[in-house]
Amino acid sequence: MSLKKKIILGLAVILIGIQFFQPLRNLSDEMPATHIERVYPVPQNVKAILVQSCYDCHSNNTSYPWYSRIQPGAWYMAEHIKKGKEELNFSEFGEYSARRQRNKFRAMAGQVKDEEMPLSSYTLIHRNAVLSQEDKQVLMEWFSMMEDGIK
Amino acid sequence: MAVIMAFITVSCNQASNKNEQSSNDTTVVSQEHPASHSKKNDTVAVPAVSETPNGQDAAKEEAKNFSIAPIVTDYLSLKNALVSDDDKAAASAGKKLLATLNKVDMKTIPADKHKKYMDIADDAKEHAEHIGENVGNIHHQREHLASLGEDLKDLIDLFGTSQTLYQDHCPMFNDGKGAVWFSANKEIKNPYYGAEMLTCGKVEKTINGK
Repeated sequence: MSLKKKIILGLAVILIGIQFFQPLRNLSDEMPATHIERVYPVPQNVKAILVQSCYDCHSNNTSYPWYSRIQPGAWYMAEHIKKGKEELNFSEFGEYSARRQRNKFRAMAGQVKDEEMPLSSYTLIHRNAVLSQEDKQVLMEWFSMMEDGIK
Repeated sequence: MAVIMAFITVSCNQASNKNEQSSNDTTVVSQEHPASHSKKNDTVAVPAVSETPNGQDAAKEEAKNFSIAPIVTDYLSLKNALVSDDDKAAASAGKKLLATLNKVDMKTIPADKHKKYMDIADDAKEHAEHIGENVGNIHHQREHLASLGEDLKDLIDLFGTSQTLYQDHCPMFNDGKGAVWFSANKEIKNPYYGAEMLTCGKVEKTINGK
């Protein structure tokens, strides 16, 4: 067997091997009392956008596509979700102080406006998470209203 | 096999940490920046540093009497970096502010102010950390400065300041909602737009040191 063949075979074995090492999945059946939808009235149109474009990385419940099991992509994804939830977790929004909630709403409006979120590496694959101009407007208006409403 | 697998894991982690790492690299280079900036922009801020010496001596002194002076000093050098449009200096000032906030000994804070202080400090730490991580995105650093300004305002309300400060207001920032900042000088130097609109804004309030 030539060296090239050995390398290809080796890589194939590794690729198959790592499929058996799966990270913990970010899934939760229930909606906790601290979830933003149980803390504040979230309008239907806003909720639809949040579910579609935000909750995968910013809540305790990710909607995984079938290919999310394929390694090493699954590790990469798990890392993103972990970081995303540290920054902002809609499932725990009610635990934040008023100050933090207000700042989060302001930051969300800014991130959407500047097209920093959703991440381009995420929307590259999740095409349905891309925000339309209208979506952005709906979100920014709601975030801004919420920011002003929290004393 | 195990070795190659480890290699793959490492390279995978590297990919996701790329941004952080590159920003860290660049900040290290410019660590001496904030000091020089604070001299340039806010000469009045410098004496405050000598009032609160660094290290353990300061911690002992503060054990009797908590003071927000070290926090104010770090805030001012951060603010000055943003006045000068210097994202790298702002990042290292942000990291310094985070370190200062982490060093605060809760035992020195009166019990009735604990909860309020924790609430403000937790928030301020998050902003300081983000500013530290965002070399190359000065706009984002400025968004966090706006939130920090509110935290500092509340800290001053709660504990007072040993140094006279000017509370300034920028009417344009945050989509016209406005943003507050603090300066040791009366002269307006707007940190939210830097050179673009340096003298925009007004002094809202003078807070006398005690």
